[in-house]
Amino acid sequence: MTEDKIKNLIQRADKAAGGIAPVEVNVSAIRRRAGRKNIINFIAPLSAAAVLMVALSILTVMFRTTEPTQEERKIALLESKIKQLQTRTDAALSLIQEVLKDEQKQHQLDELRAQLASIPDPLEDVRQQVDKTAFILVYEADRLYNELNQTDSAVENYNRVIRLFPENRWAKVARQRLSEIEKRKTDQTI
Amino acid sequence: MAEKIDDELLVEKFRRGNKSAFERIVKQYSADVAALANRLLGWPGDVEDVTQDIFLAAFVGLKNFRCECSLKSWLFTITINKCRTNRYKRWLRMRRFSQEINKVSLSSDSEEKHMDTDEFRHVRRAVAALPARYREPVVLRYLQEISTDEISRILGITRNTLNVRLSRARKLLKEDLAELIEL
Repeated sequence: MTEDKIKNLIQRADKAAGGIAPVEVNVSAIRRRAGRKNIINFIAPLSAAAVLMVALSILTVMFRTTEPTQEERKIALLESKIKQLQTRTDAALSLIQEVLKDEQKQHQLDELRAQLASIPDPLEDVRQQVDKTAFILVYEADRLYNELNQTDSAVENYNRVIRLFPENRWAKVARQRLSEIEKRKTDQTI
Repeated sequence: MAEKIDDELLVEKFRRGNKSAFERIVKQYSADVAALANRLLGWPGDVEDVTQDIFLAAFVGLKNFRCECSLKSWLFTITINKCRTNRYKRWLRMRRFSQEINKVSLSSDSEEKHMDTDEFRHVRRAVAALPARYREPVVLRYLQEISTDEISRILGITRNTLNVRLSRARKLLKEDLAELIEL
């Protein structure tokens, strides 16, 4: 009931207000405005994007020129640590290379020493030859004196051994034989 | 149904670039749109600028109109949105310049022109003073006499919400127009 009353009242008030002046909608103006709106709608996002890009680039430059962020600081710290590690690694590598070269040299030296050690000593050879010659001379002299009774020849041989190889052990033997021959000679004369 | 088919044909013609299609739409609906705008804006009498804006919005958006509702309902939705914007702008202006308040409250100039009675002016002021969420259903239901289903589609609200808003609007009007209703 109340709804009808209200409805009725509103409708009457509306009618009492009278109609509106006939509305002239200018279609060509609408078309022009729509065209402008289309252009604005096309340009506005592009301009906004351009402004945003410029603002972002300015901000980026500003941030770069001002204090670095915490992230950037961390990155810089890490980079310096990496550089330090690289230099340390390079130093260690060069040290290892030097040690390896030294070891190689030492190894070559050892090999040469071993080769040198394997080569027979020529002096020893000569010494043996000398010893042998001295022995043969002493042996010959012993034979001349004991078996052939050629005392003079034997004494000459003993003296030759003493003269030629004075340091040799057979020279000592030759001296001993000569002293024995000398002693026998003195014994026979007595 | 025939109206809807006509609408669809007009929209299709508009999409294909037929210039006369939009003129036909304007001719067909401008009076209804203007009347609704006039009521929603509080009977100012002069709604030519708002109507022009409404049809500009329609011109721009018509390519995307999907014919899910009638063209009239779609135009009414635009009208409601434009009127909300218009009222908001007017409210901002009023707030800024206090003199404007008197002018607007005298939207009266036009009323006097129509030899209006004080009672009816009071009724219109009561309707215009309602919050938008109550005023719009009232205008659409009691003055435009649109079905509740159509109104809920235009305003984008459920039928229940619409009924609740209508009921609250009636309650507010009943309080404001108590003397006139009892007469």
